Amino acid sequence: MSQYEELTTTMTDQRYLVEALTEMGYKPEVQTAGTALRGYGGVSWSKPVQVTIPRDQLRGALAPVGFGRDGAGVFQAVIDDLDQKCGLDKTWLGRIAQAYKERQTMSVAKTKGYVFRGREVVQTPQGPKVQLRFAVR
Amino acid sequence: MQEKLITVEIDENGNSFIDLEGFNGQGCSDVAKDFRGGDSVKHSRKKREFYSQTAVVKQSPQQT
Repeated sequence: MSQYEELTTTMTDQRYLVEALTEMGYKPEVQTAGTALRGYGGVSWSKPVQVTIPRDQLRGALAPVGFGRDGAGVFQAVIDDLDQKCGLDKTWLGRIAQAYKERQTMSVAKTKGYVFRGREVVQTPQGPKVQLRFAVR
Repeated sequence: MQEKLITVEIDENGNSFIDLEGFNGQGCSDVAKDFRGGDSVKHSRKKREFYSQTAVVKQSPQQT
């Protein structure tokens, strides 16, 4: 029988998290007050999660994935342990964190008045790296 | 005058690295602070340009 496990992230802004998930092709559900997470065979997670990716959007997954804020306001990912062995693992979570950081960086740059000069993806043995270039106005 | 460029590299785990070109002295710290936001800094390394401008600033009073 599977069970939910919590994986640590450093993401704190719900807007960027939702945008990152959307960019990756998901349609996340947001419950600002938090909701329970229930998976295959009655498996559940006791703490509320604010952002959920429904199971039917996760190919072959046993359970939905949730992101719930901890006491410090940081989102922690809640993923079924069997699903982690089928692709919803730390690498997948890393891609979400990468997309999150890109959104956050673009937003900060726009707010602070920097001029966007381009985006490049560099393939490395560890995975793709995103390079964003800006100039001072 | 050399254009001031900022390159933000984001790795496969969401860790970011900021590289600044054309900045001198304290200006680079302000830009780094903008892009850092609430994130913590793991490593910081100042380029030669940082110190070169500092030297110019220190020399200025002697020239007047």
